[in-house]
Amino acid sequence: MSAAQNRLTQVSGHLAGSKSTLAPTEGDTSSGRSKLLQKHADDIVVTACLRTPFTKGGKGGFKDTQAADLLIGAFKALLERSRIDPALVEDIAVGSVLPPGGGATEFRAAALAAGFPVSAAVRSLNRQCSSGLQACVDVANQIKAGMIEVGIGAGVESMSLQYGPGAVTEFSELLESHPESANCKVPMGVLSEKMAKDRNIPRDVQDAFAANSYQKALQAQEAGLFDEEIAPLRVQWEDPKTSETKEITVSKDDGVRPGITKESLGKIKPAFAKDGSIHAGNASQISDGAAAVLLMKRSTAERLGQTIIGKYVAASVAGVAPLLMGIGPWAAIPKVFEQVGISKDDVDIFEINEAFASQCVWCANELGIDQNKINPKGGAIAFGHPLGCTGARQVSTLLYELRRRGERVGVTSMCVGTGMGMAAVWVAE
Amino acid sequence: MEYRTTGFNGYAVQYSPFVNSSIAVGAAANFGLVGNGRLYFFDLTAQGIVAQKWYNTQDAIYDIAYSEQNANQLIAGCGDGTVKLFDTKVPDYPIMEWKEHNREVYAVAWNLVSKDTFVSSSWDGTIKLYSPERPQALLTLPTHSCTYSTHFSPHSPSIISSVTSDSHLRVFDLRTPASASNHLVHLIPIHGHAPQQGPSYNPLRPRHPPSEALTHDWNKYRDTTVATAGVDTIIRTFDIRHHKHGATAHLEGHKYAVRRIAWSPHAPDMLLSASYDMTCRVWSDRMATPNITPGSHAPSQGAELGRMDVHTEFVTGVDWCLFGGQGWCASTAWDERLLVWDARSVMNQR
Repeated sequence: MSAAQNRLTQVSGHLAGSKSTLAPTEGDTSSGRSKLLQKHADDIVVTACLRTPFTKGGKGGFKDTQAADLLIGAFKALLERSRIDPALVEDIAVGSVLPPGGGATEFRAAALAAGFPVSAAVRSLNRQCSSGLQACVDVANQIKAGMIEVGIGAGVESMSLQYGPGAVTEFSELLESHPESANCKVPMGVLSEKMAKDRNIPRDVQDAFAANSYQKALQAQEAGLFDEEIAPLRVQWEDPKTSETKEITVSKDDGVRPGITKESLGKIKPAFAKDGSIHAGNASQISDGAAAVLLMKRSTAERLGQTIIGKYVAASVAGVAPLLMGIGPWAAIPKVFEQVGISKDDVDIFEINEAFASQCVWCANELGIDQNKINPKGGAIAFGHPLGCTGARQVSTLLYELRRRGERVGVTSMCVGTGMGMAAVWVAE
Repeated sequence: MEYRTTGFNGYAVQYSPFVNSSIAVGAAANFGLVGNGRLYFFDLTAQGIVAQKWYNTQDAIYDIAYSEQNANQLIAGCGDGTVKLFDTKVPDYPIMEWKEHNREVYAVAWNLVSKDTFVSSSWDGTIKLYSPERPQALLTLPTHSCTYSTHFSPHSPSIISSVTSDSHLRVFDLRTPASASNHLVHLIPIHGHAPQQGPSYNPLRPRHPPSEALTHDWNKYRDTTVATAGVDTIIRTFDIRHHKHGATAHLEGHKYAVRRIAWSPHAPDMLLSASYDMTCRVWSDRMATPNITPGSHAPSQGAELGRMDVHTEFVTGVDWCLFGGQGWCASTAWDERLLVWDARSVMNQR
């Protein structure tokens, strides 16, 4: 750049930083957002991301499919799409909440069955509903730290086969006698009901938000907006009527339903308390699914000729009271903003997991986030929340939507059982 | 009163510390992007503002500072990285020139106490200390960040401060021994310290992302009070003894970046600002003192006392007159105008 251009850039930076209507451009280096948009060789980038469809727990297309098999499907599709040499993948992290033993054994086996050589390491991890995001963040951090060069962050959950009381062991005397610690095992529905009352989130607000999620998801599905992120999967499925097992191809989220309005949701009986406000229609669906994200440094991606879809910028985790676990995003999102030096206005899309309409709408309102920026293709209320998978799923949902709209900056976030929140900033390219 | 600096867009204005009717303006052609600079010396007369003299320079002039030693001398910081010393007794050319900076010099300031040194700061990330008697700079203080503004404390001959594009206020004390810290004694994040984790952590506390700081000034009466301002439009005051809790007061109202601020030489709470929003505003910080009650560190809000919106382009320079009626000030802007006005008149309108 010439000296004059440099000076002009400097001055326009002064203007662009001051919340002016002048959009910050890539050239000026002052605003947090424009810093975010700059490309550097050591950025951690996403070169492929996808998910299986999500299907309804107990009755959907994946009701008879093991979590590990869903994972194989996601891995195979990821290898096919990215055309990366599987031998280059050094580590795979899989977030999953329900499997006994964390799924460590099955997931390693799944990676081998999907075509990874024995040299690709695998681990499972569990940070409840943020496991999938934690997996991506862990792999990104491993790459940042130089431990590995190429890795995969993934998430999987078969709630059909593994959801149930067995997921938590009996609490010891010591745990039971500590008040906050005993709260950690209060069931989600009960504590969300409590939070809705506590934070005064009326039922009609929840129902309106939930109906909106359904409508957005339906529109997106009809317009084919999920097609890019979804990798169809062929599985065995037992017809409950005939008990006949047949092979089917699942290519769509089956939780998305037409004709759902605020009024139709208003007729459903509350599930957790007679005078409650939470019911099946304004809480996330129980689902099965898997998702995977391929991560590496920008320099590596360029060397390997990988297509860069977006980049991972930063993530935060925050603890909140176990009984108020729903407020997790409220604690985590500002924290990640602070790290990155941006504000809510710099973000184009927020993917905030809809564990319950109540908590999602509360967090959004409290943070002052524009409703139009939240979950533009619907969320877990409409197409499901396979616990450990969701965090990895949001990456594909977010990046493809940002790219489609020509927008850049996105945030994924979710509340986490036992009282936590996670949030991450991503940039589409 | 008004004077048109035709062809040159104003960047800085200062009253002479010796003569109550003298004003100097540093200006640049083509909005300071490319082309010459010009230094004007004006006289305020009954007939209006009269240009006494001017000097052309090769590159833009971004800031000026009158000598505190010699009523005829003034330094100017230029776009080509030079600092020039002019003497009104010598026509056409500067009497000294220091070529020390690698990039645009955006601020110069004279030592107000010992009066024998001056400083300059530049986009090259350094502050340099000079003596008019020496051909080379005496000392270089690194900031590692584009340094838009530097000043001496008006209360000490050895304290130098700066604000930079990395959103920090730095205070250097030359009395400290030379060491790896380069005399840096305070590094104050203008946007606020990182949050304290723990039970009192409130994710919703008002927070501000870091943003470029463009200007700052030392209060002339309260020797630990410094005001800063810049791209995020908020003018903040800090007590450098208690900066851990963030700013003492916020003065909010400008619509665009604040380009220059100046504390009044007459009133301990009064401050004048010039902004890209084309206004100059007069503020009071209400003599705010740091709020050090644990758990509540919200800065107090200052008051806007008045605004002058005659300029039709970015206002880049303001200064108070040190003499006479206690409200006269001058401003210069990209609209090629020097305006001399009375802050008391805009305050009365409100």
